[in-house]
Amino acid sequence: MRLSELLNRKVVSESGERLGRVHDVRGALVGGRLRVTGLVAGELGILERYGIGTHGSGGPGEAKVHGHPVIPWERVVRVGSEVVVRDESPKRS
Amino acid sequence: MTLKNVLAVALGIFAAIGGFVDIGDLVFDTQAGATFGFQLLWVVVVGVVGIIVYSEMCGRVSAVSERPVFDLVRERAGFGAGLSTLIASEFVNLMTCAAEVGGVALCLKLLSGLPYRLLIPLGVLGLVVTCWVLPFRWIERVFGYLGLGLLVFVVAAIKLHPDWGQVAHGFVPGSHSGGSLLVYLYFVVGILGTAMGPYEVYFYSSGVVEDHWSLKDLGLNKVTAIIGYALGGTLAIALIIVAAVLFLPSGISPQFLGTPALAAEHSVGQVGLLLALVGMLFAVGGAAIETSFAGAYSLAQFFGWKWGKKERPAAASRFTLSWLVIFALAFLVVMSGYDPVKLTEYSVIFSVVALPLTYLPILLVANDRAYMGESVNGKLANFLGGLYFAVIVAIAIAAIPLMLLTNGGQG
Amino acid sequence: MSKVTEVDIALSILDHQLVDSDGQNCGKGDDLEISGLDGDSPEVVAMLVGGNAWRSRGRLGRLAARLSGNAVHVPWTEVDSVTSVVTLKRPATELRLNRGDEHWASIVGKLPGS
Repeated sequence: MRLSELLNRKVVSESGERLGRVHDVRGALVGGRLRVTGLVAGELGILERYGIGTHGSGGPGEAKVHGHPVIPWERVVRVGSEVVVRDESPKRS
Repeated sequence: MTLKNVLAVALGIFAAIGGFVDIGDLVFDTQAGATFGFQLLWVVVVGVVGIIVYSEMCGRVSAVSERPVFDLVRERAGFGAGLSTLIASEFVNLMTCAAEVGGVALCLKLLSGLPYRLLIPLGVLGLVVTCWVLPFRWIERVFGYLGLGLLVFVVAAIKLHPDWGQVAHGFVPGSHSGGSLLVYLYFVVGILGTAMGPYEVYFYSSGVVEDHWSLKDLGLNKVTAIIGYALGGTLAIALIIVAAVLFLPSGISPQFLGTPALAAEHSVGQVGLLLALVGMLFAVGGAAIETSFAGAYSLAQFFGWKWGKKERPAAASRFTLSWLVIFALAFLVVMSGYDPVKLTEYSVIFSVVALPLTYLPILLVANDRAYMGESVNGKLANFLGGLYFAVIVAIAIAAIPLMLLTNGGQG
Repeated sequence: MSKVTEVDIALSILDHQLVDSDGQNCGKGDDLEISGLDGDSPEVVAMLVGGNAWRSRGRLGRLAARLSGNAVHVPWTEVDSVTSVVTLKRPATELRLNRGDEHWASIVGKLPGS
């Protein structure tokens, strides 16, 4: 699948909660390969679409990341017309 | 100030002269002086500050990232929005280039007496050969410094002994007398539009990369922007003063480019006329080159092609073809016989409408710490940048209605 | 253990400039091919450059794609590093990039001094 086809897909949890749309894909550059490690989803403000205020890292000479929360790939159940992810497990006290 | 720095300022002067005293200014500024006297002088100052703010920002972004601004438009806004911006700016570039080419032919006619229609192809050929043969730095220097012949208008303005009190009054924005409010506002939009043209910032940012500026050149960037555009603004002010003194009382409407030049002759004699015409030729010619290159830069930078005068023409063949094609299309537009002065007015008004699209990415990227590191906008740059962005949006909305309502400033 | 660098792909790679091993521009990252999305460890296998890579980039993209030829698939193994640009390991010609410049050079090259 192409990246452009994955971007903007709706993301829902197994319990039906709407989690926004995919607006980026987190990857890891290791050993000459680019593995997909997660999805960046949620509502994106206008300024953030231009990369402002994302509290990301990276500078003029480096690769960049948003500061947004990432859904790790392990939570993804399937990628269909929507992306379905496992609910976050409730914290045990 | 080392010699290298003095010559480096040539980029700023070239960009400013070509951007600030091109055919749009020559037309709008003399018209403004002839219609409203000194009452629009404050608009020039507003325009100068605006273009300094955005040029400095744009130069800083390009020096720090070592990439031109148009790369960033696509990276940030994506393919669709970037392509729309590209199409809009190419349309405006082409119109403006055609206006400048028409202006070059008019200047050549005033200098040589040869027929206008013959001078259109000769003028375009001259421009193309110059761009082909000269390296980027020499284009900057030749056109930038010879364009300074326009300084004769400053001399003329002083020698005409205007009422300096009234001149000073013109720097205060406010009420005007004589002439409708709508026409006055049309000139406000026109003067701002011709001061802050979109092609200027694209050309400047690509020029920064062509000249290999980097982080250590940020100070030079500031100086270049300020000196270059302050100089351009001074010339614009001189044009308005000269037109106000000579044309307002008699009610002559300077529809023809020759009139400002004759104004120079009136106060400085034959030498003045020659300097004015040579200055106009190289300022307008420089602007023609800027617009055609700005178009080629934007196209190449959107698609990721090799670009720049630094490459051999055949090595960056798509870039080379782009600027050649823009000159060719401009040539065709001018040969169609459309009135060059009217073409100029339309190109300025359409540039104004495209301004927000151009300037917004610059303002946004200049604030992105991940891109700029420590060189992000400070409070002053953001305050001025934001203020001017609001001004740009306002004039972009008002431009076409004002043009229609005032019948192109005729009232 | 190899160094692991995190990167947000749409922010850092998509629509960014590609530069070959000689430092020459050779197009933009117009799209990326990801495989293994139905499994545990999907990965980016190729970059798509030019032509009908624009097919899925919106309405204007579809129009642009129709006017162009085939996209070039650059396997991810050809990528050397990701900074503000994506640098490739080999010259553009070996990767079949910048064919546009080669194509038009035959015309531009006929002019003197090119």
